Formats: sequence, structure tokens, C-alpha cells
Amino acid sequence: MTGALPLDPDDLPPDSALALDYALGALDRAARRDVETRLRSDPAFRALVEGWQAALAPLDAETAAVPPPAELWDRIAAEVTPRAIPTAAPAAAPAPVRRSLWESLALWRGLALAGTAAAAIAFAAVLAPAPAPPGVLVARLAAADGTPLLSAAYDPLRGAVVLTPATEAEHKGKSPELWVIEGDKPPRSLGLIDIDGANAHVIPRDRIAGLKPGSTLAISIEPLGGSPTGAPTGPIVATGTLSAI
Amino acid sequence: MGQPPPSAELASLLARAATGDAASFQVFYDRTSAKLFGIVLRILIERGEAEDVLQDIYVTIWRKAAEFDAARASPITWAATIARNRAIDRLRARAVRPSAPLEEADLVADPGPDAEALLAAAGDAALVQRALGTLDPRHAAAIRACYFEGLTYEALAAREALPVGTLKSWVRRGLMRMRTIVEGAA
Repeated sequence: MTGALPLDPDDLPPDSALALDYALGALDRAARRDVETRLRSDPAFRALVEGWQAALAPLDAETAAVPPPAELWDRIAAEVTPRAIPTAAPAAAPAPVRRSLWESLALWRGLALAGTAAAAIAFAAVLAPAPAPPGVLVARLAAADGTPLLSAAYDPLRGAVVLTPATEAEHKGKSPELWVIEGDKPPRSLGLIDIDGANAHVIPRDRIAGLKPGSTLAISIEPLGGSPTGAPTGPIVATGTLSAI
Repeated sequence: MGQPPPSAELASLLARAATGDAASFQVFYDRTSAKLFGIVLRILIERGEAEDVLQDIYVTIWRKAAEFDAARASPITWAATIARNRAIDRLRARAVRPSAPLEEADLVADPGPDAEALLAAAGDAALVQRALGTLDPRHAAAIRACYFEGLTYEALAAREALPVGTLKSWVRRGLMRMRTIVEGAA
């Protein structure tokens, strides 16, 4: 989706040319670093880069596949195999000061109830870079089978994000809770959300302030009133990554 | 070469890896590592270094699995992009690229993929190859040199004794035309 691309490079807008150069891999170190910094905060530019990456990707078919040595997987496995999953921490247990993202994910996996279908989320967000005007957030959450679960939109009049259930959910007597994992920090609650019934649910703006693209969002099912420990304790029904578009 | 694994399967393996499922991640590795290693090796040439970078790439993929978004890229394109970027970063971090005799053929002589590879390529790959085939051969060769070897415009221009501006213009013009043809055919 490029609209009509011009045929003369002089007619290519500077951002498109830069996106092309980066996707091709032709920039020097400093220029690459500048582009990568910008990619984190400029969704429109990132879309240009992704467009060129997709356009170039079929060229990889011209590169012969080369099996890596068998022992390479062992080296990788040593870094990815989840460590012992901590048992659900009693409320009194001090939270580790730092917990890596994968440890958090392993913990969540350990807590997830067998048979709970993990839902895949398509979560797209537009967050204006601080300190720009209020961020705009839109999201679409769907179950693994594609059933729409939830949609979200930023409501500028209310200064808040409105979550609207797309279907009736089955969480009677439980409270879905929304979490964000930022970098190495433990999951932080963004509060309870109501995905039962048809009513919209509002997350106040101050609660979502500072959310950054790349953070992981998740919804867990907690006892009524929310997690008693401050960390997720129930099955994760949906996870996704916050991304600016 | 050969047929890439189905995107849906790779996407579901990534989704499971994102929840901490190392076994699914190993299957993802088995399905994709030869392709990614080929890409990395072509850029870095030196095998030991390419292996180190590949290790780093898969640890990154494991950690970022939850960020994969099927609406924005196919799983293999997403993973290959991470691989290319890591390999290029490593290449840029070192002062001198090892000589690569097989890739040193000058641009005019570069024939692109051979007829057999062209016939074997399916779908998008064949389309892109045909589109590049309509370009001035030097322009297509310059695009391939940048993409496959991870060369900067400056390095390739120096190697080919061309002004950087000329080379840049060839490459951009060629890619714009390639994309116009491919998207027109879609």
C-alpha cells in the first residue's frame, strides 16, 4: 500500500527514501541508530519502513538456507528455558526487586489454568510522544479463534480509553484485570476491566499515561475485586504488545 | 530455498513461545534457523561470528515473541528482519569486512539468480525476481549487493568506483520500480 510510487528517486519524499535505505540495510551505523530511535516513537515512519521490509523480503528466497550446527540450539536453550516457576507468592512475600520479562511470563504460564484458551490479541495503539497532546489509543482484542473479544478506543472528550466488549464473555463471579509489563519490571495493574455484558468500560487517562510501545499488555482473570497480591494470580486470557501505529 | 513453512503454523508457535513455551519455541527454531543462518552468514561471512549472532537473534525472538503482530508482517519476514538487522549491526560494529571473493564480481557481471533458481522460486519471490529482471542489470546488482551483503551505499560505491549519489539513485529508482511492478501485479 504505497499509493502511486513515483518513478524518479528525486520525487520520493525524504522519509520514504530514508525508510527504503534503512530497510535495504544501506545506512551507516550512526544513521541506523537515528532511524531506530525514531522507529520507537514515529508510527507513520515505522509503517513506511515495514512496507519496504515486506517488499524486500521475497529476495530472501535467493539466499541458500544453511543449517546451523546442532549444538547452537543448546546454547540458545540455555538462555530461554524457563527457570523454576516460583509458586504463587503469598501476599507477605517480598516481590523481587527486578524480574525479567520472561520470568514474569513463565510465572504467568504456571498460574494459567489448564484448558483456558489463551487469547491472541491484536493490540494496536497510537500514543502521542510525551509531552505532546493526549495520546490516542485504539485496540482490537480477539480470541485465538478470531472471535472478537474487546475493542478499545481513546475518547478525547472523556480523556479516557473506552473498552467495549464485542461478545458476551463468561467470567461470572470473577474480575478481569488489565496488566502492563514494562521492560524488566514486574507486572503493573492498570485496574479491573469489565468485559462481561455489553457496557463500555473506561480506563482513566492518568492510569494509562506513560504507557510505551513495546510494553506487554495482558488480561488475567482474578477473584472479584481484583488480585489480592498485587501480581497476577489467575489465568491469563489475553496478551499482546502495545504498539504505536 | 524451498518452500517456507506456513505462516499460520509459525505464528501459532510464536504465540505459544510468548507464553513461555520453550518446546514450541524449539520447533520454531527448527523451522526457521537454516533460513536465518543463511541470511546472517551471507552478511557476516565468518562462521563463528555468524553463529554467535544467530544465538543472539533467537534469544531476542524469544523475548520479543509477544510483540509479533501478524497484521504487520508475516512471521518469517519478522524473524528475518530481526536477523538481518542484528547481522548488519555486527557488521557495522567491526572495522573491516573480511574479503568475500565470490561476492566481489563487479556489478555489470552480476547475473542475478540463475535460471534454475528463478524457476524454483514461487509466488512473491518469482515476482520480485522478474521485476528486478526488468531493471538495468547494474541497478539490480547494486540492490542485491546492498541487501545480501549488508553494504552501505558508501562502501559499495567505493568498491565499484562510482559516485555515491549515482549509486543511491540507481538503487532507489530500481526499488521504486520493482515495488510498483510487484504491487501492480498483486
